[in-house]
Amino acid sequence: MLSICKISFRYKSKHILKDIEIELNKGEILSIVGPNGTGKTTLLKCIAGIMKPGKGTILINGKNVSRMKRQNIAKSIAYVPQSSPSKFPITVFDAVLMGRRPYITWKPSQKDLELVARSLKSMDLHDIALQDFDQLSGGQKQKVLLARAVAQDTDYLLLDEPTSNLDLKHQMETMGMIFNMVKKNGVAAILAMHDLNLSSRFSDRMVMLKAGKVFCTGEPRQIMTVENIKSVYGVEAEIISINDHPYILPTRPVNEQQGLSSD
Amino acid sequence: MKKYFTIICITTLLFCLLVSGETVTREAMAGESISIKDAAGRSVEVSLPIKKLVVLTSDALEIIRALKAEDLVIGVYSDISRNSQFWPKLKDKPKVGNWKGLNYELVAELNPDIVLCYSQRPGRDMERKLEPFGVKVIRLDFFRLGTLEKEVAVLGRILKKEKEAMDIIAWYRKNLELIQKGLKNISDQPDVYIEGDSKYHTAGPGSGGHEMCVLAGGHNIASNLSIPYPEITPEWILMNNPNLIVKTTTKSTCGTSYSMTDAIPLKRIRDRVMARPAWENIRAVKENKVFVMANEIWTGPRAIIGTGYMAKWFYPDAFKEFDPKKLHKEYLEKFQSIKYQGVYVYPNEN
Amino acid sequence: MKDICEQYKGVTRKKLSFVIFLAALLFGVALIALSQGASSMGFKDSVTAIFQDSGIAHAIIWKLRLPRIIMAVLVGGGLALAGTVFQAILRNPLASPYTLGIASSAGFGAVTAIIFGGSFYSEYLIAGNAFFFALLSSFFILSIAKLKSYTPETMILAGIAIMFFFSSLSSLFQYMGTVEEVHEIVFWFFGSLSKVGWKEIGVASVMILLPTPIILRWSWDFNLLAAGDESAKALGVNVTRIRMLGMVFASLITAAAISFAGVIGFVGLVAPHIARMVIGGDHWFLFPASALVGAVLVLTADTLGRTLWAPQVIPIGIVTAFIGVPFFFYLLMKKTRQYW
Repeated sequence: MLSICKISFRYKSKHILKDIEIELNKGEILSIVGPNGTGKTTLLKCIAGIMKPGKGTILINGKNVSRMKRQNIAKSIAYVPQSSPSKFPITVFDAVLMGRRPYITWKPSQKDLELVARSLKSMDLHDIALQDFDQLSGGQKQKVLLARAVAQDTDYLLLDEPTSNLDLKHQMETMGMIFNMVKKNGVAAILAMHDLNLSSRFSDRMVMLKAGKVFCTGEPRQIMTVENIKSVYGVEAEIISINDHPYILPTRPVNEQQGLSSD
Repeated sequence: MKKYFTIICITTLLFCLLVSGETVTREAMAGESISIKDAAGRSVEVSLPIKKLVVLTSDALEIIRALKAEDLVIGVYSDISRNSQFWPKLKDKPKVGNWKGLNYELVAELNPDIVLCYSQRPGRDMERKLEPFGVKVIRLDFFRLGTLEKEVAVLGRILKKEKEAMDIIAWYRKNLELIQKGLKNISDQPDVYIEGDSKYHTAGPGSGGHEMCVLAGGHNIASNLSIPYPEITPEWILMNNPNLIVKTTTKSTCGTSYSMTDAIPLKRIRDRVMARPAWENIRAVKENKVFVMANEIWTGPRAIIGTGYMAKWFYPDAFKEFDPKKLHKEYLEKFQSIKYQGVYVYPNEN
Repeated sequence: MKDICEQYKGVTRKKLSFVIFLAALLFGVALIALSQGASSMGFKDSVTAIFQDSGIAHAIIWKLRLPRIIMAVLVGGGLALAGTVFQAILRNPLASPYTLGIASSAGFGAVTAIIFGGSFYSEYLIAGNAFFFALLSSFFILSIAKLKSYTPETMILAGIAIMFFFSSLSSLFQYMGTVEEVHEIVFWFFGSLSKVGWKEIGVASVMILLPTPIILRWSWDFNLLAAGDESAKALGVNVTRIRMLGMVFASLITAAAISFAGVIGFVGLVAPHIARMVIGGDHWFLFPASALVGAVLVLTADTLGRTLWAPQVIPIGIVTAFIGVPFFFYLLMKKTRQYW
């Protein structure tokens, strides 16, 4: 179990995150949603150990992350960034092999190579395994980054907007892959998401952030309400339900004067 | 638009003023005007008499003092204070720059008749910049024995010191002849390796050092190379196996020779040369014929003294009576009006 | 699934054979270099003279040619290795040992030593001073990075500022220098391997070879830096530490190489790229390959420089650029990939 207890993060004097509490069990997909600048990415980075929260603790199976070695955290938590810079040539295989870094000392072992091969296969990337990562399309790149996380062989996956920059089909494919990964391997995933409908469709639970605080948390049905959308996003919307999944249809922005101003 | 117009007007006006100002000064100088050839082979018109001089090189300054024209100098090169003992009267004159460049404003303020500098440096734009102030640039090197006499004569003419110039030239000639006389019955030329201040950079044809070596009757092992100051491989020196090695020093490696009281710095340089890897196989090292010569007598106005030392090193028997130190003493006391002191070569002849 | 692994291993084997090929090439070039020189020794004589104490030939081989060859290999390999490290930690294909101003501060160190007559006190003062200033500037950049952040941008900007600062100081000192001093400064900047003896090799090899295994040990971390700081951190890399120590080691190597051989530009930039174009970005292979490319480049340049126009030596810095640039362009045109 991954527990996030009362995490706060400040940049200079500005509060980015305040008293965030989240719990995540294996086999679960949790989406963090909220408008731009509410701290979704910062929260993921704090959990991944990329940034240090000012207050609060993160526990993996009861063990405090701040007392763990970086390399050992990397064996439990995988982080998939929005994009990967590529100034230098690297093959897809090598890009995925990077996921094995926490386990490698001098050279990758046969087991490392096989795990990479397996995860490439599972993502349907085996045909382009020796191609240059930089020459792939956006969707393929996202898949490679996912494959890297798979190869990293962790219990927890953190994904920062895995569907941004992707077209509709690739969005569905990627989300489907994440869904399968979590359900089949019994791991858990936290996704920072922009797209409310995709998160509603694929998540078990959602956390809605507003100005660095948890506004509400629960199953998609409980979160995706007209009132929540209005006060968090400032948008009038209608909610429709298809196959038991709530979908949002935004209609117009709330007029500032009439809006429920909670700030 | 109006602003630009004003600017153009002012510039035009200034330009006219400048041009007319120049013609005025030219007309005002009623004296005799002569045409001379400088070291770069260009003709320069100079109006006489010359009353005020700015000098950018120590070589030229030495010749001016030898011409007894020291009093005309109103501006000197900035480094002069490094060798203040040698220049007791000039060391406090305004410092206007060095061989590479000068402070134009300061020169304009000093308003000399001419600025003396090397033929190559500072660059040619100097003439253009100084022309509006009526300052002529005379480029004379004074660092090559072959052209020294001609340059001294030119400077003598400009400064109206023809008699003094003749004295110096006569002195040079006398001593050159003395050396040539000593070389008359020489048959076997020694092979000489000359090294400047940088390790493994020799003096090839076209350099002052090569010229001196030839005048002193030596065979420069670099005489068939094609550039003046090439880097060469240690192995090539080894294969040429020179009979003698002449190493020169710079002011920066051991201060100025004039204020030097003992030969330790020069000895140290010699020891290092002799200890170079594999050099124990070279004849000059084996026979202890490695000589260090100070920059002051290596090329420049005192190249004749350096040449004298070399001749004595190359042919100790033929030049038994010849005393370069005496020559140096005579030069400093007679032409430079300062007393002889300092260390210039190692090993010393005494 | 097995076949992907096999394919990958095939690629790895190709990379390995490229490294072995480079090592063989270096050995070949070294043998040729060993047999070239002013003396009339042929190839066979030169090789036998290594083992037989045959007087002058033995002295030439052991005291002049071998030190020169070894230093060329050390300097070329070191600069290329340092260049690779700088490109990785700054995540910038244009980075080289010169980007962070290490060369210009080393140059300034040499210039001050020359102007103030350093070579009078000790023959090693010029090299020592160059080394001191090279390290001084890299520690300055590290402290700036510590105060602000260890990002490539901060470090590159600080480095460029340092570079301009020391270059202008050098220019100032050159401006004040006498003819002879300026000559010597210019010669120093040209670079030269003529002055190298076993003592210099001893010092340089300690500084160049000691950090090398540590850098190799971290090749995985350097690989991950290319994936971005965040990914690297999330994969367990201590990004700050690797960037800091990487810079310290690469500066040490650069300083050692430059202070003994002068500013041999370009190797540190071009050798990593040549290696990368052939075998890709895996630092486990890239480090040895680029070091070998650098060593071959500098050794070839020095050998050509001292034989083409013998006995005059064409300065090593100039020849290195002359043979490196066309080869680099050839690879650049041949490869389809867009680098930047």
